[in-house]
Amino acid sequence: MEQVIKTVFPIVVLFAGATVAFGAVMGVVAYTVLAERKVLGWLQGRIGPNRVGPWGVLQPFADLFKFIFKEDIAPDKSTKFVYYLAPIVAVTAALIPMVVYPFGPPIISVDWSFLPFGLGEGISRLPLVLAQIDVGVLFVLGVTSVGVYGIALAGWSSNSKYSLMGGLRSSAQMISYELAMGASVLGVVMLSGSLNLSDIICAQIYSPYKWFIIPQFIGFLVFLISAFAETNRVPFDLPEAETELVAGFHTEYSALKFALFFMAEYVNMFTVSVMCVTLFLGGWYVPGLSHIFQFGTIPYALISVGAFFLKIFLFLFLYIWIRGTLPRFRFDQLMSFGWKFLLPVAIANVILTIVAIWAWNVMGWSQAVPCSN
Amino acid sequence: MSVATENLTGQVDILDQPLESQMTISMGPQHPSTHGVLRLELVLDGELVVKTVPDIGYLHTGMEKLFEYKKYQQGIVITDRMDYLNPLGNNLAYVMAAEKLLQLEIPERAQVIRVMMCELQRIASHMVWLGTHCLDIGAMSAFFYCFRQREKILNLIEAVSGGRLTPSYFRIGGLMMDLPAGFERRVKQFLDDFPAALEELTTLVSDNTLWQSRTKGIGIISPEDAIDWGLTGPCLRGSGIDLDLRRHNPYSGYETYDFEVCVELDCDVWARFRVRMREMFESYKIIRQTVDRLKPGPTKADAPKVVLPDRDDMRKHMDSLIHHFLIVAEGFNVPPGEVYHAIEASKGELGVYMKSNGGPKPERVHFRGPSFVNLAALPVMAEGEMVADVVAIIGSLDIVLGEIDR
Amino acid sequence: MSIISDVINSTKAVIKGMKITISKMPQKKWTVQYPDVPVTVQPRYRGQHLLHVDENGKEKCVACYLCAAACPSECIYIEATDDARPYEERVGRDERYAKVYNIDYGRCIFCGFCVEACPKDAITHGYNFELSVYNRADLLKTKDDLLITKQKQSKNYRVALSDEDVDSEYKEVDKVGIKFRL
Repeated sequence: MEQVIKTVFPIVVLFAGATVAFGAVMGVVAYTVLAERKVLGWLQGRIGPNRVGPWGVLQPFADLFKFIFKEDIAPDKSTKFVYYLAPIVAVTAALIPMVVYPFGPPIISVDWSFLPFGLGEGISRLPLVLAQIDVGVLFVLGVTSVGVYGIALAGWSSNSKYSLMGGLRSSAQMISYELAMGASVLGVVMLSGSLNLSDIICAQIYSPYKWFIIPQFIGFLVFLISAFAETNRVPFDLPEAETELVAGFHTEYSALKFALFFMAEYVNMFTVSVMCVTLFLGGWYVPGLSHIFQFGTIPYALISVGAFFLKIFLFLFLYIWIRGTLPRFRFDQLMSFGWKFLLPVAIANVILTIVAIWAWNVMGWSQAVPCSN
Repeated sequence: MSVATENLTGQVDILDQPLESQMTISMGPQHPSTHGVLRLELVLDGELVVKTVPDIGYLHTGMEKLFEYKKYQQGIVITDRMDYLNPLGNNLAYVMAAEKLLQLEIPERAQVIRVMMCELQRIASHMVWLGTHCLDIGAMSAFFYCFRQREKILNLIEAVSGGRLTPSYFRIGGLMMDLPAGFERRVKQFLDDFPAALEELTTLVSDNTLWQSRTKGIGIISPEDAIDWGLTGPCLRGSGIDLDLRRHNPYSGYETYDFEVCVELDCDVWARFRVRMREMFESYKIIRQTVDRLKPGPTKADAPKVVLPDRDDMRKHMDSLIHHFLIVAEGFNVPPGEVYHAIEASKGELGVYMKSNGGPKPERVHFRGPSFVNLAALPVMAEGEMVADVVAIIGSLDIVLGEIDR
Repeated sequence: MSIISDVINSTKAVIKGMKITISKMPQKKWTVQYPDVPVTVQPRYRGQHLLHVDENGKEKCVACYLCAAACPSECIYIEATDDARPYEERVGRDERYAKVYNIDYGRCIFCGFCVEACPKDAITHGYNFELSVYNRADLLKTKDDLLITKQKQSKNYRVALSDEDVDSEYKEVDKVGIKFRL
């Protein structure tokens, strides 16, 4: 019996962690939708939704119920299997990167020996990450780019010309901007010497700049712009440009299937914000916090997690703010901007970083980074 | 992909045998950026537009026929509903055509008020154009800022006439009523805030490089083509032709106002955009001048057989009451003849052709709608551009389907 | 280096635009929270018609048919009757009055021509504007709905004073509806 409990316990913990993380992400996503409508309203001199609950705080639930109870319509001549598969692919690909989000620093100060059956034995640290993947950056880039299948399949299977064009645009756009995005990340990877997201945060803490946005400012800008394009947000929202393609790839989707696409888009926004914060803004790291609280204690962890989400909210606000301001690109402009401007800049940034690191090493200024998970 | 286009058989030849690489896409009549119920048959090669065929008539209401069954003064309310963004301009064109037939002399104050209201309406119309144009290209917030300004103008129009979208304020021979008390102050209040608001929109929209890259060099129509296709208004002036009926064929005393005719030479969407943005400021200048010129005086022509008498007069004097009864019940007879009168509406030359057979109802009224004529040039402008540009070009034409279909 | 100056210029323009949008955030909002807050209408606003009565409650209308003749959409239907009784017992102020006075709001276009035509000031436009019904037949309003003594005035409008500011409705909202802001 004890053996069974001991075997099952880590799985239970993992599931509990996954549930908490999922809940947090979905909560943030739901309220990002509300915040988007609110902030957009404020930027435009309006009030925004304020009818459901005080200040409209229950609006996401009203939206959810509306989506659930709407009639589920599939176009007559659509390819049914693919048509139903597409939103699932999109939302799954959007949610998977959640496992490597470094939500906060590990908690190492708690003694777990109070747990029954000796479950706490040998456990010294509680990492606030679901999975430590050594190629975390690649994992995120790889999995999010699977999301394009969802969009392309949706565009193709709906048997609608608007959807098809939206799907095509989206595929081309995502493939183009992934290159620039990958290249912009390279600088950070070289500086930190790791692809593990936690290690990258650690490397930032031990580096003289604290945040990689300082040495990698160009990389940061390229990443930010590509992130807008990757998530199909204004000014790169061509796949769903409502005034040209009605609603792009999800023109023919309704009810919960549409909600899944909608959710996938906002989860993607969250993911790229996490990446941006982790790679360039020090993740959960708050400079100077270790002077107040001991590293590894619960208050330190809580404040760090708070800081992490605060930084993400700043990015999400930026998304909304940009949406309230800019018009959208034309398709050929988008492509030439991606290939002729963003990619060269990203590559130049990589070369610049290589030269700088080499010079740094020649001068003997480099120092070993004492990081391992 | 071959696509059946039954409803266009006989009109469209290229659609019958499209190439394999081409795709026919039906944009509208329910599409977010066709400004109403316009339907476009686009033949696309990838993202490039090979051919555009506008398909109109979804909003047809038979207005021109309706005029023949209404007395002259009753026709005014029909004009409100044609170009519903510029109803006072339509009112003006219609009443001026009737006044031309009747050879009425309009008093000074009525003329000034007409100019003032028409220029306010022009700003309101251009504000809707700017807002929807921005929305078409994806800039969302400008739409709300524009409608905010328009709302103030609609309040002013509501204050003088009682209607926001359908004012029917002008009458044959003058105005419905004089301005309400304190109206000058409210107009001045609007005018005081307006340049700052326009400046803000300029910074937000036209200074934006992204906006410029979306509008410059697309939807080009050469000056010769523009004349051949009969473009008028900002679309024509955007092609470098200096033609403004307010200056070149003045009416309602426009010749006495100091304003500039805005001409841009680029022939593209950006030029038409610039023309309208500058025109709003010129309208602002004209309204400033009209406010200074408002002097007390009559607002109705001295023509007791045509113009309704003042209400006090009507209550006190028998002959006025009889005239009132006759005009309302029987209408007034208009001398036989036919006229064409054109004004510079917010979208171009709005012409009214009116034929009278001597009775109280017109024999024929025809409108030369600027939107209708300007839309005809869309296929020329859109050829070889991308789908996204078609939307921008429609926005730059500033069409109103109520006027196109009539 | 035209590319670099281009990039700098466009970034500047974008930042300027973003400044404008964010400057709206702390400002007063323009939304009127109808129906929590009444809508402001101008004094000349053309809403649902009112049939007026004199100081003793006698209808002013003399059924002269001028309003019906003036109406461009032919939505007014009148049946006239003579009432020979003395003034105190009559329905109307004058001997002749409208036994039936119907306005079909499915046709009415609120142009104000009937008001202009009326020689007795018996019909005016009121301010009621919420006229939607579930049944099309209910759009036909009879004298019971139109008489000023019988028509129920909506609480959802506020008539502006003629010397109010051009955007007074938003300022008014600030006084009334502060609790709905956010």
